[in-house]
Amino acid sequence: MKIEDQYRLNNEQMMDFVVLGYHLVELDLPDGLNEEICDELDQLEENPLDTILDVVPQLQKVFTHPQLEGALASILGDDFELSSHRHWHLKPPQSRYMHWHQDGINDRQVTEIRTLLMLYYPQHVEPDMGPTIVVPGSHFRNAPTDRMSTYYNIKGQLPLTVKAGTVAVTVYSLWHGTAANTTDKKRHMIKVPVGRQSDPAEPSWNYDSDGSNELVTGGKKGGQNSSLGNRRTVPSAQSEFYKERRLRRMTWDWLCGIETT
Amino acid sequence: MDTANGIHPRQRLMYMQLASPNPTSECVACTIFEPVKGFRPEIESGEVDVPYSNVIDALADGWKVIQLPDPRAAFDDHDLDVIGYEFVLQKMEVIDED
Repeated sequence: MKIEDQYRLNNEQMMDFVVLGYHLVELDLPDGLNEEICDELDQLEENPLDTILDVVPQLQKVFTHPQLEGALASILGDDFELSSHRHWHLKPPQSRYMHWHQDGINDRQVTEIRTLLMLYYPQHVEPDMGPTIVVPGSHFRNAPTDRMSTYYNIKGQLPLTVKAGTVAVTVYSLWHGTAANTTDKKRHMIKVPVGRQSDPAEPSWNYDSDGSNELVTGGKKGGQNSSLGNRRTVPSAQSEFYKERRLRRMTWDWLCGIETT
Repeated sequence: MDTANGIHPRQRLMYMQLASPNPTSECVACTIFEPVKGFRPEIESGEVDVPYSNVIDALADGWKVIQLPDPRAAFDDHDLDVIGYEFVLQKMEVIDED
């Protein structure tokens, strides 16, 4: 596939992604496409699981959109591949919340981003429609889902109350759940994992080396004042924050193709 | 623990995750489990507002600590795992379900 450079992420967007673990892409889709997809999803009587793109073929226009491909290529390299696993997540009317979890099991290589989740929302998601909720920065945490069972609301959590046609691109290990859908509307989301095929040898986004140096170091050797180093996500003690900062830097360097020790 | 009219106080539970094992440190997350059949807390989409800013404030309001957090010895001081340090507190109260 040919990636259009105008849609690749820039340094600041990539830095945000590394720190927060997600990036939102508001797709410029043809008029009526979101509504058409929503209508088809509304009519489904059973979950087609991995065949959802065959059952609702218009979804191909979403998942091959150049804006989305630009973001995916920036993070995973130009040869990224969509998984054969897809899932229609229906949040039925008047349904309860879904607890925090990471998909799959823990990946201890948290600084090597090899898999992303794409979460496509074909409708406006309001706070009472059971939005996906994520914990920014939690992708660095090796926490089995069972250990999350006593958490409910966490400072810094973010509901993805998004516009129709938004795709949330998240690190696979980002903690997520949902709030309750207290409305009488169905809330739809299509999830597709995307994988990296090769280790990064160089940045695959619209990289600017001078800008990168400033973002990473903030003009000082330790990087405490940099965009990468000084941003807090979930409140944590100092030693945890130092570790988080180090993990961010290792991730950035790995994405840049720099070997770290 | 019986009261004069035969109503028993019940155990309210509160899980507080603090930024450090120090009971004065910032509360990152907090959930109260009410001793009422069928009670289930929820993850909500609104602003997160914790009832106490730390464990000391909860103690001042009559809660008692029944479990201190695992200090999570740093056998590998490079990884991050769960969020915060978990204190479990209780408060015995008569619950009016009416």
